[in-house]
Amino acid sequence: MKALVIVGHGSHLNEDSSLPVYEHAQRIRGTGEFDEVVESFWKEEPSMRHVLDTVESEEIYVVPAFISEGYFTQQVIPRELGLEGPVTRRGSKTVRYAGPLGTFEGMPDVILERVGDLMRGRKTSGRTALVLLGHGTDLNKNSGGVIYMNARRIRERGLYDLVEVGFLDQEPEIGAVVEGVAARNVILIPVFIAEGWHTRETIPEDLGLTGEVTLLGDKTVFYGAPVGTHPSMANLIAARARETAREEPVVRSAT
Amino acid sequence: MSEAPPEVSSLAAASREAFAAWVAASAEGRLFGQILIRRCSSGYSLRHAEDAGESNLEAHEDPRSAREIAKLTERGEYRPLKSSPNLRRGWEIRVSDSVELAVAMSYLYPAGIVHWHLHRGGRLGITNFRENATRQSGLYKRVQRLSDRGVQDAARACCEDAVCLKKTLWDVDERTPLEMRRGDGEIPCPEPCSVFISFARRVRLFEREERDETGLSVSEKEDLAALIEAAASGAGEVEFAREAEFEKPLNERRMRYRRLTLVPRLRPEE
Ligand code: SF4
Repeated sequence: MKALVIVGHGSHLNEDSSLPVYEHAQRIRGTGEFDEVVESFWKEEPSMRHVLDTVESEEIYVVPAFISEGYFTQQVIPRELGLEGPVTRRGSKTVRYAGPLGTFEGMPDVILERVGDLMRGRKTSGRTALVLLGHGTDLNKNSGGVIYMNARRIRERGLYDLVEVGFLDQEPEIGAVVEGVAARNVILIPVFIAEGWHTRETIPEDLGLTGEVTLLGDKTVFYGAPVGTHPSMANLIAARARETAREEPVVRSAT
Repeated sequence: MSEAPPEVSSLAAASREAFAAWVAASAEGRLFGQILIRRCSSGYSLRHAEDAGESNLEAHEDPRSAREIAKLTERGEYRPLKSSPNLRRGWEIRVSDSVELAVAMSYLYPAGIVHWHLHRGGRLGITNFRENATRQSGLYKRVQRLSDRGVQDAARACCEDAVCLKKTLWDVDERTPLEMRRGDGEIPCPEPCSVFISFARRVRLFEREERDETGLSVSEKEDLAALIEAAASGAGEVEFAREAEFEKPLNERRMRYRRLTLVPRLRPEE
């Protein structure tokens, strides 16, 4: 039997954080690819400390519902789940640990689907910039890199006049990016896993956005929902798991 | 494990079958947390224990509907801790077999069945506070400095049945048992949970505060002022902090901690 364990951050204060994890889990259950699909969280239950005990399957795929490689994917999750690397043997179980979602090759497609949903039926004229919005530094330094990586991958496809990046907690700061970008239309997509205080409140407030479409001086800003809540993220999570199946278990000498 | 059919190999499956058998063995049904589970002709029926005799309940057949049921309290507040005694009433889930029963239970009391099963078999591994704290990093690393007294008070404020129905099985460390009523329910708690660690962090910050000439710390004064303002604004107006919002004065666990640590200083003669 095969199990998929999706690990999310979760929250002590509201349901926003875990909701996409539950929704993607349900979508993946519907495909029948895994015998079990289980949710687990840092701040909600079941905790990572206990989730593996609740799984029946011997082949377990753990996919972190995180955008960037960083503190959670490199320290917290492996520590809490007791993982030793990409493949961990635990009694009769084999646990395969996938990388974060944002660095995966399928990520630009999910971002573009999010753009497609936002722009459906909307006409624009003049130059259009796609701006990817990232959170920025966490305890590790990689979190900005993944935003740049996705911007570069999308830029290579030549779909927009410009593809830029901006951050909440590091330079270049998103407000300045939106203001300075040389385009009439700005499509702003938060590369976040979930809706939350930032996407609903601080970002619209700081940028002066009033909804999905806002006229700001001579610019029109189109503001999308976070990438992580898009239904196609479910496919990305399943693909991320599938990819780890290629890793060979580390054979350790019996002691 | 006497309850588990011998052919069942995985712990999860053994727990599920043992749980279903335990439920089936009781005519009046079993109480697990706030839920009453009964064997019925079509399988199993789950409902809030206080709805035992109700007939007009919102009916569910999908075991995963338990997730929505467990998400918010009666008053629509988010439930970060599923073992909090604030499960809403008014619903019934009917499931057909032990697998569906386990799915429903996994949303109502995540990992509850496995811990229950292991505990009954004397095999549940316990992680004491100190050991858990050693693992903490980042924002929570400071819980490593929490005093033994602080752990005791935090556990009484955070884990007793009034606020969490799990039976607290962990201790401060091997030699220092918790001095609290550990709880009467069926669901064991083998390790401090993330809500507890977050609360312990807050208590550690309280511990570090200095007291001024009034004998009170800044946060104690802040809490007293907030209580006075809340009470003065009339009963209908008091807005309590959310369950795990420990940074705000009017949080139940924070106030329980004050009752243990501040009230005795305010009323020394009692
Ligand atoms: S640590 Fe305390 S609050 Fe958390 S589940 Fe255990 S008993 Fe409940």
